[in-house]
Amino acid sequence: MNFSFTSEQLAFAAAVREVLRDRCDPADRVSCWKELTELGFFAALAPEEAGGLGLSLIDVVPALEETGRAAMPGPVVETLVAAPYAPQGVTRVSLLVEGVALDADLADLVVDVTGPSAVPVRPEPRRALDPGRQPYGVTVAGEPERLPGSAEALLRRATVGTAAQLVGVARQLLARSVEYARTRTQFGRPIGAFQAVKHQLADVAIAVEFAAPLVHRAALSVDEQDAPRPDRDVSAAKAAAGEAASLAARTALQVHGAIGYTGELDLRFWLARTWSLGAAYGTSAEHRIRVREAVFGA
Amino acid sequence: MDLDFTPAEQAFRAEVRDWLAAHVPSRLPSMDTREGFEAHRAWEARLADARLSVVSWPEEHGGRSASPIEWLIFEEEYWASGAPARVSQNGIFLLAPTLFTFGTPSQQAAFLGRMARAEDVWAQAWSEPEAGSDLAALSSRAVKVEGGWLLHGRKTWSSRAAFASHGFGLFRTSGSRHHGLTYVLFSLEDVAVRPIAQLDGTPGFAELLFDGVFVPDAMVLGEPGQGWKIAMATTSSERGLTLRSPGRFLATAERLVALARTADPALQDRAARCLVDAEAYRLHTFGAVKGELGATTSMGKVFWSELDLRMHALAMDLLGPCAAETPWFDGYLFSLAGPIYAGTNEIQRNIIAERVLGLPR
Repeated sequence: MNFSFTSEQLAFAAAVREVLRDRCDPADRVSCWKELTELGFFAALAPEEAGGLGLSLIDVVPALEETGRAAMPGPVVETLVAAPYAPQGVTRVSLLVEGVALDADLADLVVDVTGPSAVPVRPEPRRALDPGRQPYGVTVAGEPERLPGSAEALLRRATVGTAAQLVGVARQLLARSVEYARTRTQFGRPIGAFQAVKHQLADVAIAVEFAAPLVHRAALSVDEQDAPRPDRDVSAAKAAAGEAASLAARTALQVHGAIGYTGELDLRFWLARTWSLGAAYGTSAEHRIRVREAVFGA
Repeated sequence: MDLDFTPAEQAFRAEVRDWLAAHVPSRLPSMDTREGFEAHRAWEARLADARLSVVSWPEEHGGRSASPIEWLIFEEEYWASGAPARVSQNGIFLLAPTLFTFGTPSQQAAFLGRMARAEDVWAQAWSEPEAGSDLAALSSRAVKVEGGWLLHGRKTWSSRAAFASHGFGLFRTSGSRHHGLTYVLFSLEDVAVRPIAQLDGTPGFAELLFDGVFVPDAMVLGEPGQGWKIAMATTSSERGLTLRSPGRFLATAERLVALARTADPALQDRAARCLVDAEAYRLHTFGAVKGELGATTSMGKVFWSELDLRMHALAMDLLGPCAAETPWFDGYLFSLAGPIYAGTNEIQRNIIAERVLGLPR
């Protein structure tokens, strides 16, 4: 029993953080792509004989949290989790789920998660929740090509990877709100000295603190052969991470007040990311229902 | 990172489970009645005979030097078995860690073994009528005399004090606010105890009146005047790992799921959420056992107390007008106290905001 990250796992995350810090542009959907590719990030889960690092999902969870913290846009999770399925040399992957594929325009491979299979598509842009994650309504325009590997595992990893990003987004929203509350002065005091503000931020800290371990357990469960209930663990993680991020976003906006509601402050990128990731691979509400069905039967 | 128990840990779990299955008594009367108090003490003595009352303590004081993980395993099995609540809780979980850190060898020898067998049962004496959340406002005094101290003042909401043998708390010996407080142990024999009925009518706590009660120097824990620092070590235990192990919430959540088995999906949703939250608290604790207890225990305290309340409130919704005929109602009343004791959740949120997040005071 050692439910803590290893120094290697944390070092990988620190390397990702270093790359993204001050460099990641949340408005550019291919920002820092080259740098993270060079770090081996996108091939981390691919086997070593296929040019990857041969890591498990749990090994990259702290790094995924960093991509969330930086509000790194584009198909980050999709490209990472599809690497074991994709031919070498693929730069970006989009996953097709129930007729919608995020960032399909940037992808050189679109994978239908029900196969999994590579599908040629005709994408039509849909109105985006988030400028960093562009959804496309997709018409399959040719023969699907079956990819090796388990569709179930692909979707589970995409869901847990997204949950890990949501934890990172929530941590950054909390950090920014705390920073703002320490410096913004009203009534002659920093607004963070008022208990009405303090207690809201404390509640965000609690929500993130107790969502993260569920995400970590789910990452273990999806890669473990004899995990007793991987789907329940995945749904618990996605629901809790989505709810924590949603609370972090609403609180961040409330603490920032009117300036947070403007397009002039870049807080909006993190707010929007909670919306797009919260909706991806099942909303918190959908995953709560799945947990209930797993506990009580459908 | 993994969630695997070693063969030794699994064997320990099996031993604890088997012993509890063979020995857990059917439901005891409330520990806040004379009869129930004595029944709970007798249960503690049986646990001690099996060296299961204080597994994490060293052998010389009746424990097994169990690791934190083994202690968590013990707790999971203890609460899953339906075993009684721990009447010695305030002593073994709150005072004992402080005695191990600040007590002299002779204090440890005098108190720990008897505490482990519930020969002595300890009550805490923090709050006063004018010092609740603002504990540093306390005004009970200890006055130095030859060979010891005379205690004056009034303590209140002292859990278990109606029937306990000993107490521990803070008394002012000099200074003001956090300075000049002294951590004093005392026998309740010479203290006037006024039991206070709780919401359920039983005297779960009491008021203590000190009118020049003499305690010898050997009953001061740590240096006189250092009581605040010493007490904070104790309250951090109370909020954190030692008082509220995940096992009890997990056991409650699993009983709640069983209770909701045929309920409407809207109610089952709430039960499933409670189960996941209890699991989150368990996982969080597994991740935290290696770290130091500090201000982060305040996050746990808010989380478990609100979870416990949500679980029991749901049970009330499931059981309806005759809920009071079940143990869930006693649990509900107790869970209502959770956000109040061990530092109110408002105080905890202040601590989180100031000491974890770094917001200004």
